[in-house]
Amino acid sequence: MSIHFKNVNYIYQQATPFEQQALFDISLTIPSGSYTAIIGHTGSGKSTLLQHLNGLLKPTSGQITIEKQIITPTTKNKALSSLRKQVGIVFQFPEAQLFEETVLKDIAFGPKNFGSSEQEATQLARQMAHLVNLPEELLEKSPFELSGGQMRRVAIAGILAMEPQVLVLDEPTAGLDPRGRAEIMEIFQALRIKQHLTIILVTHQMDDVARYANHVIVLEKGRLLASGTPTEIFSDPDWLRTHHLALPQATRFASALQKKSGFEFSKMPLTEEELANQLVQQLGKRG
Amino acid sequence: MEKIIEIADLTFHYPQQDSELLRQVNLTIHKGEWVALIGHNGSGKSTLARLIDGLLVPTTGTLKIGGTILSDASVWQIRKKIGMVFQNPDNQFVGANVEEDVAFGLENLAIPRAQMQVRVKEALQRVNMWEFREHEPARLSGGQKQRVALAGVIAMRPEIIILDEATSMLDPEGRKDVIKIIQELSQAGFTIISITHDINEASLAQRVVVLNDGQILQAATPQTVFARGEKLLAVGLDVPFSEKLKVALSRQGLHVPAGYLTEEGMIDWLCQSISKT
Amino acid sequence: MNKIILGRYIPGASFVHRLDPRSKLILSFFFIVVIFFANNVQSYLLLGVFTLFCVYLSKISLAFFIKGVRPLIWLILFTVVLQIFFTRGGQVYWQFGPFSVTHFGLVNGGFVFCRFVLIIFMSTLLTLTTAPLEIASALEALMLPLKKFKVPVYEISLMISIALRFVPTLMDETEKIMNAQRSRGVNFGEGSLIKQLKAVVPLLIPLFVGAFNRAEDLATAMEARGYRGGEGRTKYRVHFWKRRDTLSCVLFGLLTLLLLFLRNW
Repeated sequence: MSIHFKNVNYIYQQATPFEQQALFDISLTIPSGSYTAIIGHTGSGKSTLLQHLNGLLKPTSGQITIEKQIITPTTKNKALSSLRKQVGIVFQFPEAQLFEETVLKDIAFGPKNFGSSEQEATQLARQMAHLVNLPEELLEKSPFELSGGQMRRVAIAGILAMEPQVLVLDEPTAGLDPRGRAEIMEIFQALRIKQHLTIILVTHQMDDVARYANHVIVLEKGRLLASGTPTEIFSDPDWLRTHHLALPQATRFASALQKKSGFEFSKMPLTEEELANQLVQQLGKRG
Repeated sequence: MEKIIEIADLTFHYPQQDSELLRQVNLTIHKGEWVALIGHNGSGKSTLARLIDGLLVPTTGTLKIGGTILSDASVWQIRKKIGMVFQNPDNQFVGANVEEDVAFGLENLAIPRAQMQVRVKEALQRVNMWEFREHEPARLSGGQKQRVALAGVIAMRPEIIILDEATSMLDPEGRKDVIKIIQELSQAGFTIISITHDINEASLAQRVVVLNDGQILQAATPQTVFARGEKLLAVGLDVPFSEKLKVALSRQGLHVPAGYLTEEGMIDWLCQSISKT
Repeated sequence: MNKIILGRYIPGASFVHRLDPRSKLILSFFFIVVIFFANNVQSYLLLGVFTLFCVYLSKISLAFFIKGVRPLIWLILFTVVLQIFFTRGGQVYWQFGPFSVTHFGLVNGGFVFCRFVLIIFMSTLLTLTTAPLEIASALEALMLPLKKFKVPVYEISLMISIALRFVPTLMDETEKIMNAQRSRGVNFGEGSLIKQLKAVVPLLIPLFVGAFNRAEDLATAMEARGYRGGEGRTKYRVHFWKRRDTLSCVLFGLLTLLLLFLRNW
């Protein structure tokens, strides 16, 4: 499912004394099947933009096209509910949304709301629990007895169970330990390959952007600053620095190495593998 | 060096549970030292921090803080020596605005008002939050709230500051600001215990203590601990980039020196290699 | 949820902002009592002009105050209509069964309307210019004499102040959880009453669980910072009665005298 924003503006509490504009004239495309990363500082409009993707917010002006559905300021709320099934959003700290008696019931909650029978929903829930590596013996427990990392995975399974075509992830690894972070990111990667999902990832972790994304959108103060492939976005370390954006570790390392001497990088490396590759080549050429 | 925290044979489990969260922990921390406490989630790090502050009572074993044994009788005295900053910026903001929150601990110590004003100002200036003194928590970012929490601790003039994953819920800028303040506090002579998963934060400490399933696995310099390489993930820490690069290089058949290298060390080594060829 | 103006605070440094919260609290209350003495056009006019003068002193746009009336407009109109229909006297303009529109009715309806608007304006003025914590601490100061009767004034005021401090946090949390559950297919406020009630469960349970976790964290943090109950603590926030507070009281006194002079006896 491809997503297009055309001149989208969004104003919070319009026509009140507290009015505040969060998005300014945003036009962008998220290609179908892409792994799109959205980066930008806190307050750059990322969360507001996310909430437009499944119709939680409607643009104040402009228009959004998701596959064939067009959302304008006057679109009726009723027309948006089918969109929620197609675009699944995993919010920040999603474990806060758990409420059911058992893990299994909580995962099945979404599909049931979208019309699956009890049996179908339970079956989906089991399948998704397996997909996010939740051990079988946890499924009948209360979600509130689990560890933080396990709760996170229950919440993610709850979104996956709706079988969305687009999966939106708002800092899905925040607050987890490094191993938990790596595990979760690998789960998404596997899903994308197996189920051809379009993934939209909001993150501060530039290494994740470099490793997984193939399309990057940069927001600043509610405006679209740039968009392109990770290689394009990370090719200019100075530009990133002026906008207070971090570099992936490999890119930062390469740029420091280049300044110091000897090595030349025709294409800035994004991961340690790419960096190692180029280093070995250059060392080999001389030797 | 003067010992400030002495932990001997410490074991802890909650009365209603069987499994021990901490087993036979022995650890001595010296005055002015910065110790990073690492371990995967559930390894017992936060439990240890709470035991040191007397917020939990050990099942067996003893804790000595500044030479005084921690007990029911001494706990309030000892708590004056320890300041704690917790993980969630929202859940430790007691005051209705910044300066009142900083003053909360001082009010508890019954510090006279005139002195409170001096200390609140001093502490807020130290964390660069003085201009925000009249702001309510809702108008602050996570990083700003944690800085206020640090000011609340500084104002109480403790000897030991414990940071229980204080940076884990912050965005990169917020994290950077808080770490910078911790560095300044360490230089000013405070004893620091920081519980963290952040490799940069851990690398600043003088000693890294690795907790694994309630036991101390290792207590050594950051360099020694980081030499674990990819096995660091299992003990709750990110792998340093130089180690990741070493693995990638040796996969390509390049011979890399054993032992831990910092990123600067790695850059130097690469520069030497290319000039030799 | 965001449209409610009453209860919001707008920081500022105007004359009204800088008044002692105790005097603001007492005077607002006093004004509401005084309003009930007004009973003719002149006296309402006097109160109206006075209220506008206070609004002017606060340097806050009148739009905020008018917005403050809006959520209550139906309640006000309902009361006004009742007054109009059920007050008898004077010239009769229209009559149907027990209902009648009379001269007195219209006048009374107008007065009731004015009374509502004035009360809302004044209480909005209080909350717009006084941070919630100021109100809480003023309440504490005013309740202090109750300590003699073993009322735990400090604890109550700390409770109020923490509750107020967490209102925005919990409102945020509510919105987040609502968004998360709407994304899972919940439709809040749609369908039959039973459906609507059922939709509340996935909102309330996470909210309660979250609030309990917060409370536990907060209690730990307070203990770590040496909190052992209200006794024996010093206070950071103290109130200073200034010249402008005395001036304001005198002003309100004069207003009352003028009002008593203007009203019909």
